[in-house]
Amino acid sequence: MRPASFEYHKAVDIEDAVRLLAEFGEEGRPIAGGQSLVPMMNLRLARPGHLVDINALPMTDIEFDDRTMRIGALVRHEEYGRDPRIGKHFPALLDAVHWIGHPTIRRHGSIGGSLSHADPTAELPAAAILYDASMVVRSLGGERRIAAVDFFESAYVTTLEPGELLVAVEFPIPPRSSAGSFMEIGERVGDFAIASVGAHLEFEQATITRAALVCCGADLVAIRAPEIEAFLVGKTLDAPQAVEVGRRFAAMVDPSGDHIASADYKRALIGELTRRAVEAACARAIESK
Amino acid sequence: MTDITLEVNGTEKSLAVEPRRLLADVLRHEFGLSGVHIGCAHGACGCCTVHIDGVPKLSCLTFAVQCEGKAIATVESVGGPNAEHALQQAFKSEHGLQCGYCTPGFVMALIPFVEAMTSQRRMPEDDEIREAMSGNICRCTGYHGIVAAVRKAIGDQIAGGSNRS
Ligand SMILES: Cc1cc2nc3c(=O)[nH]c(=O)nc-3n(C[C@H](O)[C@H](O)[C@H](O)COP(=O)(O)OP(=O)(O)OC[C@H]3O[C@@H](n4cnc5c(N)ncnc54)[C@H](O)[C@@H]3O)c2cc1C
Ligand code: FES
Ligand code: FES
Repeated sequence: MRPASFEYHKAVDIEDAVRLLAEFGEEGRPIAGGQSLVPMMNLRLARPGHLVDINALPMTDIEFDDRTMRIGALVRHEEYGRDPRIGKHFPALLDAVHWIGHPTIRRHGSIGGSLSHADPTAELPAAAILYDASMVVRSLGGERRIAAVDFFESAYVTTLEPGELLVAVEFPIPPRSSAGSFMEIGERVGDFAIASVGAHLEFEQATITRAALVCCGADLVAIRAPEIEAFLVGKTLDAPQAVEVGRRFAAMVDPSGDHIASADYKRALIGELTRRAVEAACARAIESK
Repeated sequence: MTDITLEVNGTEKSLAVEPRRLLADVLRHEFGLSGVHIGCAHGACGCCTVHIDGVPKLSCLTFAVQCEGKAIATVESVGGPNAEHALQQAFKSEHGLQCGYCTPGFVMALIPFVEAMTSQRRMPEDDEIREAMSGNICRCTGYHGIVAAVRKAIGDQIAGGSNRS
């Protein structure tokens, strides 16, 4: 239960970090909050030869312009979790943060670390997929943006290449009339989810004009449900047919059972969480009008 | 080996450590601070909570080399040899501990919460207390005694108007 040997490097700025990461290639790993990486190292599930400490890098701001919210990769869960602007534009993201671990972990764990770690039932990858976020990635070769749907490849696997550093994540700001919600069930508070569902609804008057649904627990990455999202369009906020939406989502997914929950249980759970997420988003939409 | 200087419980010390050494182990072995307990070594139990620059952190998820120049406080720095901090006293009177293995972690995780509530002069709901201690596992008490201890520590300090420590 102790990590293998490695060399430690404290990067002074982004250029320094990407230079170090390029130098070490497959052997190099950034360390942010360490709240996922160090457990993996202690269990020897990860044995990086070189750790590049990125905690001193200037990636700690939450910035808004007319179209985008940009969260620096090092912003800690606790910090963006209490930003009222996030609650206004991205309520499902705000809900999601509160399901992450415990206070001490939220205090140190970072948004960039969580997205890069890509746990299959982690909340943030789901929220990023729900809101069509993009990852802003830097390397010696320059900067590129990766859409969330393309970023998460499998459980704990992203399309980040060795030598690349996630510097920020950008969320497009939804049009004014939108609401959302994120629902989750785990074994205990603070545990990773058995399943979770996020809903984002855009509406005009009382009619849903666009919907997004995301689900964790059905596959190795969080999934969207375009057909069911389309089904929601045109429904009214006071009668979104949430039970039917849940039934359809449950029928669509094919989760595998594990030591905690059977496949049938997960499917039923996803249906129920979908109903709750859609109803909660509609209730918030009505409240906001 | 990497040379580092840590300020631990008010005293500075320079030492050479392998980068792979966990802060928890360095505090226990190089500083002799056996109040830093290790329950799981992967972030799940909260036993190893210490303060780094005043902020609770899991010392099993922190490498000592990352703490160069930082001020670290362990449970040994709290309440003096007779454990006289209001929270420690309340753990005793409210049966917040049995075997005591988890206690240093609870105390270090909860002190900032107790202080925040005391300075706001606000008695938190039990749910808030349980949330504040949700990262810490206790196998003995069933938690009720710990919740009662937190309430008592806050209540006593609000009533006493002081921040005994
Ligand atoms: C007991 C416990 C419970 C938890 N519960 C939850 C939970 O319910 N939900 C949840 O989502 N998480 C949970 N976590 C994990 C927590 O959210 C972590 O903070 C997060 O997953 C990783 O963030 P970090 O900053 O600690 O990253 P680190 O642990 O430092 O890094 C994680 C990975 O990301 C890489 N990385 C970090 N930053 C970057 C970057 N900027 N660019 C490229 N790669 C990078 C690292 O190399 C590493 O591979 C839990 C952790 C613990 C210990
Ligand atoms: S020993 Fe650090 S959290 Fe369990
Ligand atoms: S008192 Fe024994 S584990 Fe908490």
